[in-house]
Amino acid sequence: MGRLRQHRMHQPSVQQLKMHQPKMHQLRAISAVAVAGGIAASLLGATIANAAPASKAVRSHSVKHASSSAPFVVADTSSVQKLDPDVITNFLDFQALGLVYDTLVEENAKLQIVPDLATSWAFSDGNKVLTFQLRKGVKFDDGSTFTSADAVASLKRVIAPKTADASASFIASVKQILPDGTYGLKLVLSHSDVSVLEGLTSVNLAMLPASAISSGSIAKKPDGTGPYEYASWSPGNSFTIKANPYYWGPKPKIAEIKFETIPSEQSIASALEAHSVQLGLLTEPTVANHLPSTYKVDKVLSLSYRALMLQDKTGPLANVDARRAIACATNRKQILGDAVFGQGQVSGPVPLGPFASNPVSSLCPTQNISQAKTYLKEAGYPNGFSFTAITSTDLDPTSAAQAIAMQSELAQAGITMNIQNLAGDAYIQQWLAGDFQAAFAENGADPDPYVMYGRYFGAGGNLATPAGYTSTAVQKLLLEGDEAASTTNQAKIWSALNANLTNNAVWIWLFDAYDYAAVAPGVKGFSLSPVTGTSLQALGTTSWSS
Amino acid sequence: MLLGIARRIVTMAITLFGVSIVIFVILRLLPGNAVTASMGVSAGLLTHAQLAALNHYYGIGQPAIEQFFSWLGSTLSGNLGISLASREPVSTLVGSALPVTLELTVMAMILGVIIGVGLGMLGGLKPGSWQDDIGQGVSVVGLAVPSFVIGTALVTVLSSAFHYFPSSEQYAGLFSNPWLNLQQVFFPALVLSLGIGAAIMRTTRAAVLEVRSLSFTRTATGKGVSRSALVCRHLFLNALVPIVTMSGIQLGYLLGGTVIVEQIFVLPGLGRLLVTSINNRDFPVVQSVTLIFAAGFVVVNLLVDVLYSVIDPRTRR
Repeated sequence: MGRLRQHRMHQPSVQQLKMHQPKMHQLRAISAVAVAGGIAASLLGATIANAAPASKAVRSHSVKHASSSAPFVVADTSSVQKLDPDVITNFLDFQALGLVYDTLVEENAKLQIVPDLATSWAFSDGNKVLTFQLRKGVKFDDGSTFTSADAVASLKRVIAPKTADASASFIASVKQILPDGTYGLKLVLSHSDVSVLEGLTSVNLAMLPASAISSGSIAKKPDGTGPYEYASWSPGNSFTIKANPYYWGPKPKIAEIKFETIPSEQSIASALEAHSVQLGLLTEPTVANHLPSTYKVDKVLSLSYRALMLQDKTGPLANVDARRAIACATNRKQILGDAVFGQGQVSGPVPLGPFASNPVSSLCPTQNISQAKTYLKEAGYPNGFSFTAITSTDLDPTSAAQAIAMQSELAQAGITMNIQNLAGDAYIQQWLAGDFQAAFAENGADPDPYVMYGRYFGAGGNLATPAGYTSTAVQKLLLEGDEAASTTNQAKIWSALNANLTNNAVWIWLFDAYDYAAVAPGVKGFSLSPVTGTSLQALGTTSWSS
Repeated sequence: MLLGIARRIVTMAITLFGVSIVIFVILRLLPGNAVTASMGVSAGLLTHAQLAALNHYYGIGQPAIEQFFSWLGSTLSGNLGISLASREPVSTLVGSALPVTLELTVMAMILGVIIGVGLGMLGGLKPGSWQDDIGQGVSVVGLAVPSFVIGTALVTVLSSAFHYFPSSEQYAGLFSNPWLNLQQVFFPALVLSLGIGAAIMRTTRAAVLEVRSLSFTRTATGKGVSRSALVCRHLFLNALVPIVTMSGIQLGYLLGGTVIVEQIFVLPGLGRLLVTSINNRDFPVVQSVTLIFAAGFVVVNLLVDVLYSVIDPRTRR
């Protein structure tokens, strides 16, 4: 039967064929017209209609922007991953939730601590008690009033182990959290710790309503006191906030902000050019610098730094002169150029803030090969030595370029640096276990050197293992700086810490790169801040017109 | 025929079970876990008590066998679990992403078949002609240039020259805003279709050339069959089996291709969900999405086999 059918299919009678001819001809014609028409209509309709600036599509877009219902779109390659401010670690989560929540104190653009929900504060009892006066008339998004009960509940939630807030370490010295009347808060510390104030600026220590904490709704529906309130969240795609009518500060001028995830920076640039995004958050200078001149590109030094972390426990890197040889053979300006096209600045251990270190004063501020060779001889390695550095382009796309540049520089002094590029998670595992000789890292910075380095080099620091360096002198300096009451004293101590870290070539601090925000025409009053949690705070006062 | 289909369905179930084991094992072999994936190096700041709380939260530390059968049992009963990252039900995430990928896949397949069969027929009917040269050129470009290069170039040209990048606006559903939806899906589908079209074009061309050389074609011509009837009814129908085979294979690969194209064109489909979930070590989502991709692949293969029987009755035996 099958064979018969096949035969018939091959050799139909002429009559049959003629009978089918007109029908098939028609079908073919219709198909051809439909296909051609479909493609032509799609292509032409989609492109030409939107091609010229005066086209219908662009006009309708402009009208849409002008209407109050269109959201202001902020594009980032990342997406908002969590809604609970106490457990967020993703940069965009800080930026977005930083607009929904307030903290007791915050950092301004100059990285100085200024009031937020606390109007004033004072240390007493030898810097062991910190008392805050809380702002009155502040309301949460649900309409309830912010009081000391909320502040106490918020900070207790931070330090509760089950919350798993990594920033709890910032207030590890807090022994007791007590209300001081309806609008006062008292923190009793285990020891003198002025850096606790800096820790309280983190969005991870935001003020939450006590009622939401007890009901457990924080992770599902953000409820803060910031200029914006939560509207909606589509995991992996978008996060939308709208102006908070109860906000205690200047009323936001933008009614609704939508954080949209666009997975590549090149696509963000395309979206900006298509006028569907008003603010693009970028890190790649190649993308930021190639936008049309009609876009204002705001850049700010990132509150993070690149360094080559060294483990000094075994091998040649245990020798201080061997590490100094690496420091002197390194041309940090060249690495900055190769890795980020010079878009940043060479930095010391503290890249930003009132206690920023001056890289010029460090050991070998510029490449000095003869000095490196001298150090090598003193270290007992006149012919150089070799070591392996790990990188992860998953975590920091520029790390490979940094490593390759540094590899050739060290070779000039006879030092061989092998490079091992790891997948992101493998890098994190090895980094946390201190299972490396050297690691190219992008570490978070802080204006307060104690907050930055207490966790690495302080006594009992959580990150002592990856830090790979233990020194009682450094521990003493960190403790003294943390306890110092006056800024003048702190400046002296932090300067000594900087000298100790660089002269002993504990790590090789490289550079601090720029972060970028590409601002569309029509957006006024926006400027990027280097502070993670408040880098988009200016959106609270930014205006926008099509 | 029905027995054959039943046999294939059983094989399909065994394949999917095997796939689920492979996915599960591979994910567990990867370094890191949900804690380090979500916190990065900040995980080092956690105290032992905090780490224990997080491990409990993410279900880390449970025996692997227990985790596997718990997940498989839930999946078979229709419960895909809860996303570790967003705490949303996986079924909700998949439910919103799946239609996007399906629409993209179907549109890419239609465009790919139109391009591939059209150019392949032209080339096969007039080998060595300028039409054939164009077809060959398109197929070389489609096969040689990766979709992410074509996609990125297309996005750049459209946005720079025409200020047009519809995908960057919020994704519009096919039924809620069909015009915007078609604009958002058409270009990524076009990019995907070039690769598929190239493979289908080469297969079609080769099949048509082969069928043209067979004796029944000469007989039909000798009997006075018109050229259009000869092409459509004799050549095309007899060349259809390899074309369908190639289309089926390409449809399977197409599902994988959406992963990259959805990233470039900002489409909230399964591919993008998969990439995000892998980065977050969000095991329940990765397992479910991968299983859906695998199921799609084997179902397509099954459909292709069934189609063989329809097209070529000899294969029914």
